[in-house]
Amino acid sequence: MSSRRSDGPADRAESERLLDAARAGSPPQAAADPLAHLLAAAAAPGTAAELVGEERALAAFRAARVDPAPAVAPRPRHRFRVGAVLAGVAAAATAGVAFAAVSLDPGPEPAPPPAPTAPGHGTGGPSTGAGDPGTSGVTPSGATPGGVPSTAPTPGASGGSGKPASAGKLAGQCGAYLAKSDAQRAKALESPGFADLVAAAGGPERVEGYCLALVPEKSPEPKSEPKPTSSPKPKSSPKAKSEPKATPSSAARKGTTAVPAGSPPRSAKPGAATGR
Amino acid sequence: MTGELSEAVTAAQAGDEDAFRFLYRSLQPGLLRYLTALVGADAEDVASETWLQISRDLPTFTGGEFRAWTVTIARNRAMDHLRRQRRRPALPVPVQALSELAGDADTAERAGETIGTESALALIASLPPREAEAVLLRAVIGLDAETAGRVLGRRAGAVRTAAHRGLRRLAALLERADAEQPADRAGGATPPRPRAQRGRQAPKAEPADG
Repeated sequence: MSSRRSDGPADRAESERLLDAARAGSPPQAAADPLAHLLAAAAAPGTAAELVGEERALAAFRAARVDPAPAVAPRPRHRFRVGAVLAGVAAAATAGVAFAAVSLDPGPEPAPPPAPTAPGHGTGGPSTGAGDPGTSGVTPSGATPGGVPSTAPTPGASGGSGKPASAGKLAGQCGAYLAKSDAQRAKALESPGFADLVAAAGGPERVEGYCLALVPEKSPEPKSEPKPTSSPKPKSSPKAKSEPKATPSSAARKGTTAVPAGSPPRSAKPGAATGR
Repeated sequence: MTGELSEAVTAAQAGDEDAFRFLYRSLQPGLLRYLTALVGADAEDVASETWLQISRDLPTFTGGEFRAWTVTIARNRAMDHLRRQRRRPALPVPVQALSELAGDADTAERAGETIGTESALALIASLPPREAEAVLLRAVIGLDAETAGRVLGRRAGAVRTAAHRGLRRLAALLERADAEQPADRAGGATPPRPRAQRGRQAPKAEPADG
């Protein structure tokens, strides 16, 4: 309460120093202020437990690479997707699983250019224009010269009512889908029974990533298997599984788990292997 | 942003899975910790959503501070999540974890000399929301005050002030916990001693049980 002078940073400048030290990941000396220890602990390297979602994230990454620009292909079932998402939102009040349905919605009218607009190393001004961070719709993609920043689906936005596919049903379909072989999967996605699922996922080629996110039990084999191509149009088919090119540190990243070359970024060191 | 991170971003945008993996490992722990302060036990779910959106929107990232970009996504997902749950709609920044995580004295007591990551985060989460967010964005996510201000939609100065207040509060919590530990001898009647020097160098404060 009454913050004592003896303890705690005397002024903002001292606070800034403490925060920067934690941020830099420099371990405090043993005799340092307990506050420095606290901050260092809060910013300690990540543990393996914190990285359990890695394969799921990678599945999403793969799915997004296969179909980076959802708007390119005309999608007849588009409005069903919106409906499914809305239904998912409604169900989210009770069923936690629906989060995937919400998050995978690629936005109302997504038209981002598939080609990455080279970010470059020069930070052209940190343009994380979180213009209004309170509103969920804003994706902080800074300048986004060409691409409409895909607005996150706000619950209750845009009242298109489509086919109400409950989250539970989608999860069930996912289970059925994931149980199939690759050949069967492609076929299954064309059947009307899976239309809801395709719609909710945002397209047939996204179903896998969607389902892996929704049904986390089944995780994909890490990157050895590029992608069971049930996808009709693999957009970036080479999709660079791991071309050992450009980045010097990619070799380090390649090593199955471990610590990247050089000092890893401060707050979250990928020292998962060593972290615990 | 660190060169390594920006290289990985570029490579991931070109489809390099290893680069994406690197990004995940670099950023996820911080994001998860931040989200835990925002949404408590649902942090894993929200982090999952966050990475889905990061994957999807990666091509639209055009430079700048990638950490800030990802943490803004995480924050938006957390806000959506809380809105969906209709939790604490009145709070500008709902820090859900307060009640769940923080019995502050307890946590601080457990913290002891070698405070663990979880305890440290629980203590930070017990701060008023603005202060907690400022401290987390600065120390855990690793943003500077200006960038954190952009994420939060506030001025850098406001972030510095909030973080400073948060740190002072944390210091007071630690101090209090430290003072309470040896106090059980007197049946709790001992007033908190304003010690000039924290640390365990004061044997007179030890409870002489025998």
